[in-house]
Amino acid sequence: MSHRTYFSNNKLAALLIAPQLLLIFVFFYWPASQAIYWAFTTQPPFGGGNEWVGLQNFKELFNDKVYWSSVFISIKFGFYSTSLSMILSFIMALCVDRQLSGYRLYRFAFFLPYAIAAPAVGLAFRFIFAPDAGFVSAINQYFPGLWNPAMNGSDALVLIVIANSWKMAAYNFIFMLAALQSIPRSVIEAAAMDGASFLRRSWDIQLPFLTPTFFFLLVINITESFVDSFGIVDITTGGGPARATDLMVYKIYTDGFKGLDYSMAAAQSILLMIVVISLTFVQFRFVERRVHYR
Amino acid sequence: MTRLGLVLGLAGSLLLSVSAQAQQRVKFEYWHGLTAQLGEVMEAHCKRFNEAQTKFEAVCIGQGGYDKAEQNTIAAYRSKQNPTLVQIYDAGTVNFMLSGAIYPANQLVKDFNLKIDWADYFPGIANYYATSKGEMWSFPYNSSTALMYWNKDAWAKIGKSKAPETIEEWMSDLRKMKAAGVDCGFAFDYDTWMPMEQFSAIHNQPIATKNNGYDGLDAEVVFNKTLFVKYMQDWKKALDEGVARVQTAQSGKTKNQAFADGSCASMLSSVADHGVMTSTAVAGMNWGVAVLPVYEGTKRQNSLVGGASLWVMQGKSKEEYEGAAAYLQFLAQPSEAQWFSTVTGYIPVTNSGFKFMNENKFYEDKKYAGRELAIASLTATPPSPLSRGIRLGNFTQIRAEVRAELEAAFTGKKDMQTALNDAADRSNQILRRFEQTFKGKQLP
Amino acid sequence: MIERTPYLNILTHTVLIGLLIFSIFPIIIVFIASTHDLPTVSRVPMTLWPGNNLIENYSHVWNKSGFGPKMLNSLIVASLVTAGKIMISAITAFSVVYFNYRLRFFCFWLIFITLMLPLEVRIVPTYAVAADVLEPFRTILGWGGIVLKIPELNILNSYSGLVFPLVATATGTFLYRQFFLTIPDELTEAAKMDGAGALRFFWDVLLPLSRTNMAALSTIMFVYAWNQYLWPLLITTDPAYATATMQLQKIVPGPAFGQPPVWNEAMAATLMVMVPPLIVVILMQGAFVRGLIATEK
Repeated sequence: MSHRTYFSNNKLAALLIAPQLLLIFVFFYWPASQAIYWAFTTQPPFGGGNEWVGLQNFKELFNDKVYWSSVFISIKFGFYSTSLSMILSFIMALCVDRQLSGYRLYRFAFFLPYAIAAPAVGLAFRFIFAPDAGFVSAINQYFPGLWNPAMNGSDALVLIVIANSWKMAAYNFIFMLAALQSIPRSVIEAAAMDGASFLRRSWDIQLPFLTPTFFFLLVINITESFVDSFGIVDITTGGGPARATDLMVYKIYTDGFKGLDYSMAAAQSILLMIVVISLTFVQFRFVERRVHYR
Repeated sequence: MTRLGLVLGLAGSLLLSVSAQAQQRVKFEYWHGLTAQLGEVMEAHCKRFNEAQTKFEAVCIGQGGYDKAEQNTIAAYRSKQNPTLVQIYDAGTVNFMLSGAIYPANQLVKDFNLKIDWADYFPGIANYYATSKGEMWSFPYNSSTALMYWNKDAWAKIGKSKAPETIEEWMSDLRKMKAAGVDCGFAFDYDTWMPMEQFSAIHNQPIATKNNGYDGLDAEVVFNKTLFVKYMQDWKKALDEGVARVQTAQSGKTKNQAFADGSCASMLSSVADHGVMTSTAVAGMNWGVAVLPVYEGTKRQNSLVGGASLWVMQGKSKEEYEGAAAYLQFLAQPSEAQWFSTVTGYIPVTNSGFKFMNENKFYEDKKYAGRELAIASLTATPPSPLSRGIRLGNFTQIRAEVRAELEAAFTGKKDMQTALNDAADRSNQILRRFEQTFKGKQLP
Repeated sequence: MIERTPYLNILTHTVLIGLLIFSIFPIIIVFIASTHDLPTVSRVPMTLWPGNNLIENYSHVWNKSGFGPKMLNSLIVASLVTAGKIMISAITAFSVVYFNYRLRFFCFWLIFITLMLPLEVRIVPTYAVAADVLEPFRTILGWGGIVLKIPELNILNSYSGLVFPLVATATGTFLYRQFFLTIPDELTEAAKMDGAGALRFFWDVLLPLSRTNMAALSTIMFVYAWNQYLWPLLITTDPAYATATMQLQKIVPGPAFGQPPVWNEAMAATLMVMVPPLIVVILMQGAFVRGLIATEK
């Protein structure tokens, strides 16, 4: 980063950061460390009887074909879902930012998907996309068997990508719009007066202003697609068909929460964290360079 | 500034704690795992208890699902915040038996002088929740078993008025019906309870060695070597020939919905769905239930109980146990059994309950007719070592593995035998993990 | 707009309408389902015309589920979480961006990593902490050989228990960090030259500049906190503290165990639970106003 001016009162800095650190220590690191410890043991659900097994859980995972397949699916899912939601939300934000007539309605409507609670999202999507019931099933009347997420793994993956992007596009939209709207009007007007068209302005002026937000959203979206997406899968595809949408985080949920195998879930969580931290690190290292902070 | 106010409010809320309530009745907590209409029935049942006496108050709290009920109880127990009574589904039986966290049912009955006659419970149900010595450790509550739902109108089209009794007959009926214009004869999904667990029980086939796990934690699954494979292959054939269809929530219409709207002529499901079916079936549809068909020449064995039972947890006060005991005594009354079976599709769990309902001509009411077949199915024979239940650890995960492999087979990715072999391998791995986790422990 | 671009406007409108349908179609389905009776909703595929049972369904669900007090609880919890998050994230990001101490990157990553472990995995030990908040300190002191009689602080079944674990995540800090990094150095230098201390700079310069970010973050955090159900379900056994979304989860169960929800009532409940966050969203929209920011180069 370029030269920054700092304040010198480091004691104040410590005081300012203390509340958050305290909170995350008590409510995240302390419980998480126990959960992590379980990855190296075999933990009965009710407690009372931990046996240290070292890396056995990890060895079992590494040798498991099904586990590697879920890693691969998660990466695919993360990539498609993030791309789709970022692109959609960028278009939404650009269009709404133009403040054409009725833009307030759009601004409100585009945010709605994020406001709807997880249990209901799946219901609605089942109604629409199910091959027997949904409106999309009309396609099957013309091209029989074209769309069937209950039998076809790729169709199921498409379904959860759409469902997740639908929600995340709303989330991204809010932040992108906020960022676009904080670009000083004078800058844009000056460019317009210099003869720059809307598209040119978008590319040369608005986009650079958006890069910090883009970076933020990129990291958040990718993290979310790995860490928070189990709700969508649970309600729409249940991990199927035949494990085609068995994301890493969904596996953790079914093994740990439903199957009560805490140690295996903990081992999988560590691996998940490693994947996400690495991806984030890569983003900070290589993508942040391109971000224009001013 | 309002921000400051909010910050103060945040600090102040740190001191917020439990609200004080004047206690006239002795309260105890009961966590149940049902939702939607059945969840409301749970709460209604508690209300009935609370209104029938003044000494105790059952505080009934739904946990939003059986898996969440199990998980939340465990979390609470670890912090000594567990409820007195909890409703746990059949697949959770093994975990709770091995937990060391429960107050065995037979012990509670002895300690609090409850008038519970263990012999009164249907053997098929009692054995599921009993130890190897025959002592029951939990109280069966909402029990069900599987039945075949069949569309009488569809069968009338091929001139039959009785449901098929053998699987061969059933399969051939499907093809005859297709020729007679019934597009879909049979709807199924990947739930293993009907095709694997119930099927194996009534055919007296093992799901695992060591008598389905009752005799030890070192059991191994064997379902890939039994009649179950043939059964699944028959289903696959029916699917391939277009006389059967896969109907799941993911496909948009569950098999129950497909049956209710008349599009598929038969399906296997729990008797607990009988009430819902009555209210959602297309008006004018003639349908009924029948016992599950068996392969020709099989001597039918009793079917398995499903549903959940009530467990009493350790670590509570004597007064709370008295309250729980009173509630359990209340539930055991035949009149309560009848009320419960009226508002749900669950069946009475005791002989006396069943007798009481028969005396009240319960099963002659058109709305409930057919449910007695569930009891007939459960009591077809005394339970054999292979049909008294399943005692496999992490059974939820095993069910999930079999599901996933069935999905692969039915969607054409693998052939049935390979799929079931893979499921068996993975299930055995799960069992070995469970055994290791509980090293040195014995199943009671 | 700045110039006249009729073709671009038409294109924009078309795109907007397309995205509008994409965004709200599922919600329209939910609404229509909530206006029918049960047999109609169970018919597959469901009709697209609204039915006549709107009032009946909504009042039935409202009364049956006791949504009134539960909505209030959700409101309190979501507001507290939002307020807490806004303040804590702001001061934390301020510390990480505007001070130069060796541990600051480490602290930032420490905070950031909290996004990467799903709640479901740590829910059991987090519950244990909520049942005895001071236990970590007691244990650590115990390692050091100090045995202090630290009392048990139980925040189950309370607003604290519902709020604190949700405030302890990193999204806000990351967002503020991004924003603070865009503030030009000149402003900071000018403030220092004017003799303003760090806190004065924070309160008088940074916070006003963060208006739109705070509005966005508030909206998101409120909705996020409002829609939580897994954690509240676990730590709240006293119905007095039940939240609206918890109740929704009981009416709209997942597809496991084959229990069908009462579709029309479930959809009605869904919409009812959606309304308060939407009101918040509408209120927040007022802050998304272009050009109020004074920072111009």
